[in-house]
Amino acid sequence: MPEKVTTSGTGFAGRQPGLWALAFAAAMCAIAYCEHRGILGGWRSLPFVAAAALLMVPLTKAANNRQAAAGALSPATRRYNRRMLIWSVGYVLCLGIAMTVRNYLDPQGPLLWAIALLPSAPMIFFVWTLARYVIEEEDEYLRYRQTSAALIGLALVLLAGTLWGFLETFGVAPHVPAWWVVPVWAIGLGLGQMIMASTERRAGRA
Amino acid sequence: MRNRLKVLRAERDWSQQDLAERLQVSRQSVNAIETGKYDPSLPLAFRIADLFGLPIEDIFLKD
Repeated sequence: MPEKVTTSGTGFAGRQPGLWALAFAAAMCAIAYCEHRGILGGWRSLPFVAAAALLMVPLTKAANNRQAAAGALSPATRRYNRRMLIWSVGYVLCLGIAMTVRNYLDPQGPLLWAIALLPSAPMIFFVWTLARYVIEEEDEYLRYRQTSAALIGLALVLLAGTLWGFLETFGVAPHVPAWWVVPVWAIGLGLGQMIMASTERRAGRA
Repeated sequence: MRNRLKVLRAERDWSQQDLAERLQVSRQSVNAIETGKYDPSLPLAFRIADLFGLPIEDIFLKD
């Protein structure tokens, strides 16, 4: 059963997950720039990466508030948002730890394998979260909406991956690491949700 | 598929939220069905018909 609107008292930022997503992206870009300039690097970056990851908390709260205001916050959606928060913070921290260990300890053999696998470990939780949402969501329209948005994300990954892969094969584009699939999928998911929201608004006006 | 959900709801002076609570779905679902953006599954269509005490074909109409 979807929850009633509970956003009274939340300010502008409390209802704008996009704002927090931009803040997170800006923080990560700033950290990458500082590392590039040698201001940050290795373990010195970790507290900043951790602080940036904490922006996921208000982002998730804002997403909950926005969905509640739109009449679209089911218990399954709330659980999905919470699990995605755990995954994203875990992903950023595992990535930060792996990069730090690689840069400072120069690991070899099994330790190198372990830290190379570390950032991928949270992906198991990510895939489980997606599957649990589809299983747990009792509201068929919300399930349809989220599944459609995820498929738009998948379409973007397939298109971008195939396009870039052939550009690489023919030597006209630089190599891009395969882990970019997650950020590209997330962008596609966001685009999908925007498309669905826009379609709903158009249908509402008709 | 067209439907008479908005009219039936207005006749009972129910808001979308009222109807959503009675059907145990989200308000967004009610809105999507009302505006014809989403056609409900057969089980949900039966729940809607039961709630209004009407046959399905009196609520959902062929285009």
